[in-house]
Amino acid sequence: MEQKAGFAHLTGGQQGLDERDEYLEEIRDSLAARLSAGNRAAAAELVDIYYEQIYLFMRRLGHNCQVSEDLTQESFLAAWQHIGQLRSGKALNGWLYHIAANVSRRYWRRHKDRKVTSIEGFDVPDGSEDEDKIGDLEQFGRLRNAVAKLPGRLRQAVVLHYMQHLTISEAAEAAGIREGTFKSRLNRALKALREQVI
Amino acid sequence: MKEEKLGKLLNELGERTVEPVRPGLAEDIKHQIPHSLVPHRGSMDTINIIIDLRISKLAAAAVIIITMILLANFFGGRDSIGNGIYQDSKLLIKYCLGGVGKSNMLAGRSKYEYLVHQGKDVVYYGDSIDPEDGNAVLMQWKLSDDKYKIIFGDLREKEVSAEELIELQARMLQRKTGR
Repeated sequence: MEQKAGFAHLTGGQQGLDERDEYLEEIRDSLAARLSAGNRAAAAELVDIYYEQIYLFMRRLGHNCQVSEDLTQESFLAAWQHIGQLRSGKALNGWLYHIAANVSRRYWRRHKDRKVTSIEGFDVPDGSEDEDKIGDLEQFGRLRNAVAKLPGRLRQAVVLHYMQHLTISEAAEAAGIREGTFKSRLNRALKALREQVI
Repeated sequence: MKEEKLGKLLNELGERTVEPVRPGLAEDIKHQIPHSLVPHRGSMDTINIIIDLRISKLAAAAVIIITMILLANFFGGRDSIGNGIYQDSKLLIKYCLGGVGKSNMLAGRSKYEYLVHQGKDVVYYGDSIDPEDGNAVLMQWKLSDDKYKIIFGDLREKEVSAEELIELQARMLQRKTGR
């Protein structure tokens, strides 16, 4: 199952890229405008589009399944309260992920003793696979553990950009920092990962 | 390992680490959508106001504490020790921000936020008036047919008639246009 940020999954590969981007922007703008007008149907639409992504975002940040569900719900509750801050369709990803990131950060602050839980997404080699595949899986296993061991802010940067597929600008907005700061955070994270995975 | 390759691996890891979400989660969330989603751009929380002002962390911390005290006072309706906390708060904010105008604007914004939260239909002029102009109308809301409550830039409160309000606004406009 391939996962893309926001609305990218709504379009197929038939249309040209420009046409697709334009189409996505129209959908985003329309949804943002309806949300800003307090339309409940638009709020339900937002849930349909984003709930899986926000859940996985929480899981990738290291929360366990139950907590991730709770934090996903909490993120949407916070989103309803901050709908007035949504400026445009373009800002939709950054706005919602910013709220979700804050919800997650507040949780870690309240539960400092909780451990980061790795997401269980792929098979562990059982010996029947060929060597290349086992090598790949081992490499992914190491990388997954290395991501889980990163300090919270660096882990968040990696998850937002590489796993949730947010652009640098959206991810920076989600993290609540400037693009330059986000890029340097991302570089530090990659450096730390390189050291651990090689 | 090159950055590009590591990026690709992380992308792939993201695609591999996908697990099914509990069916029904979306419905649970949808049930919590409030019946009346009332968005208002003025309802920013205190933290966001502080962030928007881009002031230092120390000042921000002080301002958050003071704003909370002020809000507590607004909730209680009066300051039990003769307006002392309010005056001290103003002094501390003034110290942190370096200007009476800015501190008044910040306190005014908090009050505006509180009033909007209370459901009052407040018109806020904070974004367009001069922070140093204590006589400018910072916000106003209707009390009854011909009565309006106004708060000035220096946070004085006054009840005025519609006619007086128009006159005050006309003066503000004149000052702004420099006539």
